Amino acid sequence: MTGDAAGMTGTTRGPALPRVLGPIRPRPRWLELRLLALVAIALVVGSLSLGATVNASFRLFDARGLAIYLGALLAAHVAQVLSGRRTDQVLLPTVAMLGGISLLLMQRLPQDLVTQTFFGVTLGLAEVQLVWLLCALAVATTLGIVIRSDSWLRRYKYTWAAVGVGLLLLTFVFGTEINGQRLTLQIGPFAGQPTELLKVILVVFLAGYLSENRALIVEQDTRLGPLRLPPLPYLAPMVAMWAIALGIVVVQRDLGAALLFFGVFLAMLYVATGRLSLVVIGLVLFVLGSALMATLFDHIRTRVDIWLDPFVDPLGAGYQVVQALHAFARGGLVGVGLGAGLPEIGGRPPIPEVHTDFPLAALGEELGIVGVVAILGLFLVVVERGLRIGAAAADDFRSLLAVGLALVIGIQAFIIAAGNLKVLPLTGVTLPFISYGGSSLLANALVVGLLLALSDKGVEPPPSPRVSSRWRRMGRRSAA
Amino acid sequence: MDGFLLVLWAVRLLFLGLIYLFLARVIRALLRDLRAAAREPTDRPGRLIVLESPGGEPLAGQSFGLDVITGLGRDVNNAIVIDDPFASADHAVLTYRGRSWYLEDLGSTNGSYINGRRVDGVAPMGFGDELQIGQVRMRLERASG
Repeated sequence: MTGDAAGMTGTTRGPALPRVLGPIRPRPRWLELRLLALVAIALVVGSLSLGATVNASFRLFDARGLAIYLGALLAAHVAQVLSGRRTDQVLLPTVAMLGGISLLLMQRLPQDLVTQTFFGVTLGLAEVQLVWLLCALAVATTLGIVIRSDSWLRRYKYTWAAVGVGLLLLTFVFGTEINGQRLTLQIGPFAGQPTELLKVILVVFLAGYLSENRALIVEQDTRLGPLRLPPLPYLAPMVAMWAIALGIVVVQRDLGAALLFFGVFLAMLYVATGRLSLVVIGLVLFVLGSALMATLFDHIRTRVDIWLDPFVDPLGAGYQVVQALHAFARGGLVGVGLGAGLPEIGGRPPIPEVHTDFPLAALGEELGIVGVVAILGLFLVVVERGLRIGAAAADDFRSLLAVGLALVIGIQAFIIAAGNLKVLPLTGVTLPFISYGGSSLLANALVVGLLLALSDKGVEPPPSPRVSSRWRRMGRRSAA
Repeated sequence: MDGFLLVLWAVRLLFLGLIYLFLARVIRALLRDLRAAAREPTDRPGRLIVLESPGGEPLAGQSFGLDVITGLGRDVNNAIVIDDPFASADHAVLTYRGRSWYLEDLGSTNGSYINGRRVDGVAPMGFGDELQIGQVRMRLERASG
C-alpha cells in the first residue's frame, strides 16, 4: 500500500486545495520601481525639451499633466506591492514609457484636434488622452491584482465568441460611418470602437479552441495529392475566420482590423500546432482574398495604388502618406526635437489624423530614426514578455492566451508602423498605447492586465476539463 | 542664443539617451530572467499532479516529475503506482515523443480516460489535460514554472 516505487520523484504537498485567498503580504518590487524611476526621469527630461522648444526657456511644458501621470504610475506600483502577487515587473514600466511618450506627443499637437466636454468642463486633446491613460492604468493594475482564476475565460469560450460576433453585427447594423468606415458604435453618450475589444475576445476564443483541439489538429492528416492537410473538420473554423475577416473588410471597410485578426489567427495556429503547412494555406487564402477584394472594391484598390506610388496624386489621395514620408525625412537620424516639428499649416498639422493614424510619423519627425527604433524596441519588449509568460505557463490554454495577447499588440504595432512607413498599404489601426483614443487604450490595458495576471506563478490551478456523461457514470459506479 | 540652442540639443539628446538607458535596463532584466530559466533543471518534460485519489495511493495533491517513459498501474514496478481496485497491474504508459505527450492504454480492464473520453490504443495528451485511471484523476502540466 505504501510502496514508494523507485524512480518516483514526487513531492507531497498536502491536499491540492488552491490557496486562493491566503493572508496578503506586501511584496517589494524593486525592479519595477527602478524602471519606473527611469521612466519618470526620461519623461521629465522630455517635457523639459518640449517646453524649452515651445517657450524658449527651460520650463516643463505641462507640469500638471505630467505630475498627474507620474503620480498614477506610482499609485499603480504601490497597489501591486500591497497586493503581494508575484506578477511581471517589466510590463508596467514598458507600457508606462509608451504611454508617457503618447502624453508628450498629445500635449505637443494642437489641442483642438479633439475636444470633449465632461460635466461642463471642456478638455483638449492632451487632457482627454490623460484621462484615458489613467483609466487604462487603473484597468491594467486592477486586472493584474484581482484575477486569480482563468476559468471564466476558459469555460465560456463559445459565449465570448458569441459576444464578439454580436458586437460585430451590432456595428454592422447600427454603427456610425466616419470617413467611409463603419467602426464606431454609439450607445447613449458612450461611443467606442468594438473592433478593439473584439481582438481580445478573438484571442480568448482561439486559445480555448486550439488548446482543446490541438492534439487532434497535430495528429491527424488528410492527404490531398502531395499535400498533407490537417483533418478537414478542424479546418472549418479557419475558413469561418477567413470569411469573418473578409466580412469586416466588405461591410466595415476596415482593412486594418481584418489584417490584424487574420495575422493573429495564423500566428496562434502556428504556435499551437507547429505546422507550417497551415500558415502557408492561410497565406494563400489571404493573397487570393486580397486580390479578389482589390479587383471588386474601389476603396481597397485606391489604398493599394497609394501604397505603390503616393506621388501620383500628392495633394489628393496620396496626401497623408506623402506628408508622413516627408515627416520621416525631416526627422533624419535624431529628429528635430520634441515640439520642433513642422509648424501647422493653417492651424492644422500637415498630416491629417496624426493623433490616431500617424503618431509614429510625428515621433519620427521629432525624435528621428533613433527614437522610432527605441519605440519599436519597447513593443518588442512587450512581445517578449508575453512569449516568456506563455512558455512558463502550466497548461496550453494559458500558454496560448499569453502568446496571443502579446502578439495582438505586436502585430497591431507592426501593421500601423509599416503603414506609416509605406512598407504596407496604410490601414487605419491605432498604434497601441500611443495613439489617441479611449477604446484603443482600454482594450490594450485589458491585454496588459491579463498578461500581468497570467504571469503570476501562484494562480489557481487550471479547472477540470468538461466532464462527459460516460465519465460521470463511471464516477457514480465507483462511488456506489 | 547659441548657448541656449546648445543646451536645448543636449536636453533633446539626453531624452533619447534616457529612453535607450531604459531599454538597456529592461533588456538586462530580460536576459537575467532567461538565463535563470535556462539554469533551472528542466530536463523533465512534464509533471503529473494527482487531483483525486480515493484509495490514498498516490496521495491527492502529489506531483510526479515525469520521465520520457512513465508506466502507470497497480504493479509496484511502475513509476507511478496506482493502488485502486479499478486499475490494472500494468494499466497505461505515458510517453514523450517529439514535442508532445502520448498516453498508451495497455489493454486495461476498465480503460483510461483523457478528459472523460476513453482511450483506444494511443492518444495524444496536451498540457492541462486530465487523465483518469480507475478512480484516480491526474492532470498533466508543464514542468518548469
